[in-house]
Amino acid sequence: MDGSILESIGVEIIGVMSPVSICMLLVVLLVYSLSSFSSPSVEPIRTAANLVYLETPSDSTSQKIEGSLLNALVFVILIAVVTFLLVILYYYNFTNFLKNYMRFSAFFVLGVMGGSIFLSIIRQFSIPIDAITCFILLLNFTVVGVLSVFAEGIPIPIVLRQVYMVLLGIIVAAWFTNLPEWTTWTLLVALAVYDLVAVLAPGGPLKILVELASSRDDDLPALVYEARPTVSRNGRRSSLGLLVGGVSSDSVEVEMARRDGNGSGEMMDEETSPLVPSLRDRMGVNLSSSSGSEFSVSVDAAERFQETEIVEGREERRPLSAMLGMGNEMEPELSSGDVREEMTRGIKLGLGDFVFYSVLVGRAAMYDLMTVYACYLAIISGLGCTLILLSVFRQALPALPISIALGIMFYFLTRVLMEPFVVGTSTNLMMF
Amino acid sequence: MTLGAGIGYVLLALGPSLALFVTLISTKPFLILILLSSTLVWLISLIVLSGFWKVFLPIKTTALWPYAILILTSVVFQEGLRLILWRGYKKMEDMLDAFADRVAKPRLYLTDKMQIALAGGLGHGVAHAVFFCLGLLTPSFGPATFYVDKCSYAPFFLISAIISLAFVTIHTFSMVIAFNGYAQGNKTDQLIVPAVHLIAGMLTLVNLASSGCVVGIPLLYVVALSTLAYCGKMVWRRLTETQIRLTPQNQ
Repeated sequence: MDGSILESIGVEIIGVMSPVSICMLLVVLLVYSLSSFSSPSVEPIRTAANLVYLETPSDSTSQKIEGSLLNALVFVILIAVVTFLLVILYYYNFTNFLKNYMRFSAFFVLGVMGGSIFLSIIRQFSIPIDAITCFILLLNFTVVGVLSVFAEGIPIPIVLRQVYMVLLGIIVAAWFTNLPEWTTWTLLVALAVYDLVAVLAPGGPLKILVELASSRDDDLPALVYEARPTVSRNGRRSSLGLLVGGVSSDSVEVEMARRDGNGSGEMMDEETSPLVPSLRDRMGVNLSSSSGSEFSVSVDAAERFQETEIVEGREERRPLSAMLGMGNEMEPELSSGDVREEMTRGIKLGLGDFVFYSVLVGRAAMYDLMTVYACYLAIISGLGCTLILLSVFRQALPALPISIALGIMFYFLTRVLMEPFVVGTSTNLMMF
Repeated sequence: MTLGAGIGYVLLALGPSLALFVTLISTKPFLILILLSSTLVWLISLIVLSGFWKVFLPIKTTALWPYAILILTSVVFQEGLRLILWRGYKKMEDMLDAFADRVAKPRLYLTDKMQIALAGGLGHGVAHAVFFCLGLLTPSFGPATFYVDKCSYAPFFLISAIISLAFVTIHTFSMVIAFNGYAQGNKTDQLIVPAVHLIAGMLTLVNLASSGCVVGIPLLYVVALSTLAYCGKMVWRRLTETQIRLTPQNQ
């Protein structure tokens, strides 16, 4: 059965979807295990995301809406300011500063936020562990994390890097699920809108960043350059795994570089950095050397797509547009020349997307399992749509808007319409 | 303990699908995409149906006919959707073939087509199990369980998992039967699928009667197993036929 085209199509899509799925799954598990027994009277956290208004369940609906809108507005403005700041820094080549800032923030996220999550896990399951051991383990975990995310010159397995990327996403997302309900929803909507503007509107910070990067021939902003793994260079059989997915390098000429959620005051700031790196995909393999030839990419085994044989870049590049039935015919061989240079990039997905997808699913998990499944499907299909659009437009696209819109829509549809229906029929043991 | 029970229910309903997924689907990314999209389609169909029935629910009477109509509309709607899916699949198959020609790879084999149908069916089945069984499982991880009055022999979760398993089987393999039937223009195959679906749905009405599940569930399993057997027979026939027909040409 070798040679069946079923095996070579969609590798890159799955390669992006699977880490997102893993991230969402873990966030949901975390939310479940931590929220099920914890006392309801937890002090609501005060973060940049609810600077203005602290929601309490007793407030009236209009109060909640108003307050959460204000929160979202402030949060988005903060993010926009931080992003512009980063763009300016990048524009003036403050790469060292950015690099160290990112290291610091990754350290902070892993150590402090991750640490507090570990503490609550330990408390929750009453794991017997003494403080010193715990501290040493945490320190090790954090240091390895920082090194693997921003390693330069140190050969670190790509799998480790991806694991840490997903972990960063999980930690930040788990943190965000502590926000009150209304604030979460308005925040998600606001971020999706911001994302749309920042990436697509002329003068949007992320658009500037991406253009700047491509004009300088960097991988993505300076931020990216730093984060770029050296590992994958030695050898074409970079086991790109999670983030970038199967076919990697050539497969997608288009890059989807996005980072959002750059910063939210205290903790969000830190997150910024992780966001950025995440995207950069590690497979900046120099294709030029291997251009037309056959090369095989082995996707890491954990992913359980073993050894995908890829024959020539052209092929894999096609599937996306082929599925649409468009594109291919129209841009016949222009690809071979033009696109090749660009082909050194894989699909990149911002860690911010990971985070906010997971926040949505985590929020849904607080209601019911059914909403979780519905939201998961909606988000994944939104991501799929975005990827397909990506292959059509071939420019950086925002990944949040479609997914978030679908996710929120399905959440409320499920909650309002489907749940009573399904519960009604299936408690009568009627199914179809 | 209850955690173990909850996981047990999940595996009972989805174990076979999981095995199919791991062995067959997960190695081919395209099939995963098919599976996801067919799950999404099923979810949408469920939402549309529930939106439609929202007006009439909850049904107050004890009469059987409103429930029968509910099942009937649902089955009709979903079978209509299957036709639309088939149209979509047909287009996609052409595209895939064109694509395969362009990259000088062989066109879709018969087994490929069957796998696509299987992935689509599995998507429907999984969606069914997820929304009718897994979606309600949250309480089962907690410290208690739940019995329904009309079938108090086993916990509700166990019963719904068992019923879901039957439906997963039916959905999964009836998609293979239906797609083959459409492809070959075989009327029997085309008609047997909605019939099976309808019969299975109507059989669950038996559960409404007190202790009805003792009769209803075994009957449901008879339907599920015969679907499985029918599908197996049909696939075997097709495979042997094409083998005979293709062997001389391939050389």
